Amino acid sequence: MVLEATMICIDNSEWMRNGDYVPSRFQSQAEAVHLICGAKTQSNPESTVGILTMAGKGVRVLVTPTTDLGKIFSCMHGVEIGGDANVTAAVQVAQLALKHRQNKHQRQRVIVFAGSPIAADKKLLETVGKKLKKNSVSLDIVNFGEEDDGKSEKLDSFLAAVNSNDSSHIVHVPTGSNVLSDVLLSSPIFTGDGEGGSGFAASAAAGAAAAAAAAGGGSGFEFGVDPNLDPELALALRVSMEEERARQEANAKRAAEAATAAASQDTQARSAADVTMSEVDGGDSGVGIGTDSMDDENSLLKQALAMSMSDGAAASGSLTDGDTNMAETAEDELAYALRISMQGPAATTAEGSSDMNKVLGDQSFVSSILSSLPGVDPNDPSVRDVLASLQSESEHKAEEKDKETDS
Amino acid sequence: MAASSIAKGQVDLIDFIEWPSVECLNENSSHTFANALKQGYRDDEGLCLESDTDEELLIYLPFTQVIKLHTIVIMGPPDEGPKTVKLFANRESMGFSNVSEFPPSDVVTLSPENLQGKPVPLKFVKFQNVRSLTIFIEDNQGSTDVTKVSKFAFYGSTVETTNMKELKKINPEEQ
Repeated sequence: MVLEATMICIDNSEWMRNGDYVPSRFQSQAEAVHLICGAKTQSNPESTVGILTMAGKGVRVLVTPTTDLGKIFSCMHGVEIGGDANVTAAVQVAQLALKHRQNKHQRQRVIVFAGSPIAADKKLLETVGKKLKKNSVSLDIVNFGEEDDGKSEKLDSFLAAVNSNDSSHIVHVPTGSNVLSDVLLSSPIFTGDGEGGSGFAASAAAGAAAAAAAAGGGSGFEFGVDPNLDPELALALRVSMEEERARQEANAKRAAEAATAAASQDTQARSAADVTMSEVDGGDSGVGIGTDSMDDENSLLKQALAMSMSDGAAASGSLTDGDTNMAETAEDELAYALRISMQGPAATTAEGSSDMNKVLGDQSFVSSILSSLPGVDPNDPSVRDVLASLQSESEHKAEEKDKETDS
Repeated sequence: MAASSIAKGQVDLIDFIEWPSVECLNENSSHTFANALKQGYRDDEGLCLESDTDEELLIYLPFTQVIKLHTIVIMGPPDEGPKTVKLFANRESMGFSNVSEFPPSDVVTLSPENLQGKPVPLKFVKFQNVRSLTIFIEDNQGSTDVTKVSKFAFYGSTVETTNMKELKKINPEEQ
């Protein structure tokens, strides 16, 4: 409930075109300015806010301190970006504007948005800071955007020169963190000096935030509502929030599963192909060629086979889904039949079958496939048993083949 | 303080200060103007108004009604007490940046005796119609960084104005 006259120095230098704060530094700054203006005028109806730009052709006062929010908002639209910011000049102009405030009961405050590098040296800043302090002007600094060498250090010493009685504040908003206005909402720039009624100011700010920052979550409190003021509403909000969160989590899980399924579909299809191949192999022990005769051509063939099989698997999948489109089903059926007929001759080539055995025999490969499948634990004892039996089977087959070649 | 040195007919103007609008620039926030101006506090030598960043102080005192200022008393410690004091009548919104822009109504150089409580007579003609008084303390006795003032007192008279409270409804029956 502090009665205050505030001058906000906005940064409209070329540096503000940067998009590291969504949507851009300048836009996020504008949003933050809206919030501050709303909060200031709501905390006390007689508090006034003015705006000046620091860059461009020179420091320009857009609005002298006023209670008219519409005036402030409309002036923000015409601001053009250009030039370099002159912080020291801007702060002094702001001080002058505050000095001639109409209501002498108002405390004076300057809020500086510093998104570009600070050209002035530390000493000059301290001198200006001392001057502010002497004129009992408080200073809030929002340090964001450009982070060149010693910028935050300069601003810190600037603030230290002004600060008396902890009425001045600085907020560092690093790139890539939250939305600028969200960070500010929980900062002392909004919550005040911890004086009486600061809670009111905060909730008022939150109310303004809810309107201005439709981005959501724009408040110092969790849902933009002071839980002390309305516990039931806060509880209801929390419950619905939790439900929504659970729903989103379930969705994310499903999406992740789908993604892993898609990723492993290839390998899955391949393993499915392996199974059919090994089945075919069972009735096709007539021809036997040693595994050592594998060469590059064979591996290429195997790859091609696996790819065609995975296609087949997808097609058959859609078939079993009970697709009502008859034309498509017929087409699919045709394709499937074709593929199966192709599969026959392909499977008769014994190289493929021996490949499959080899693949199945490779335990690490199989277990990696298994682990990629959802809901399958490769360490499960039953799975392990199956794997072991597979391996012994393949060994057995190899022995048989050896015998055959021997004979 | 010798009350006898205050000219006859002059009263303490403390009751005519409009307190909510009093402003003091460059005051130390833990040693405010109230220590030197308000009744009770100003008589305590231990309570001082202190300057903050440098030795200068600027005090703006509006009055609730128009007054004539005759004499001023400024007390402070011998070293850190104020020395050159400039007084401006009816100057609104003054700051440190424009104290030299206006000619002061009166300039007082305080002696150690003045700081002990000896009243300083002012150019009475310059303060005949005072609605507000701005006191600018430029430096102090010991040229130190901090200026301390333990007491301000203003003596003068009020300009005869119509006190609306004294107006009475004329009873037609009495006539």
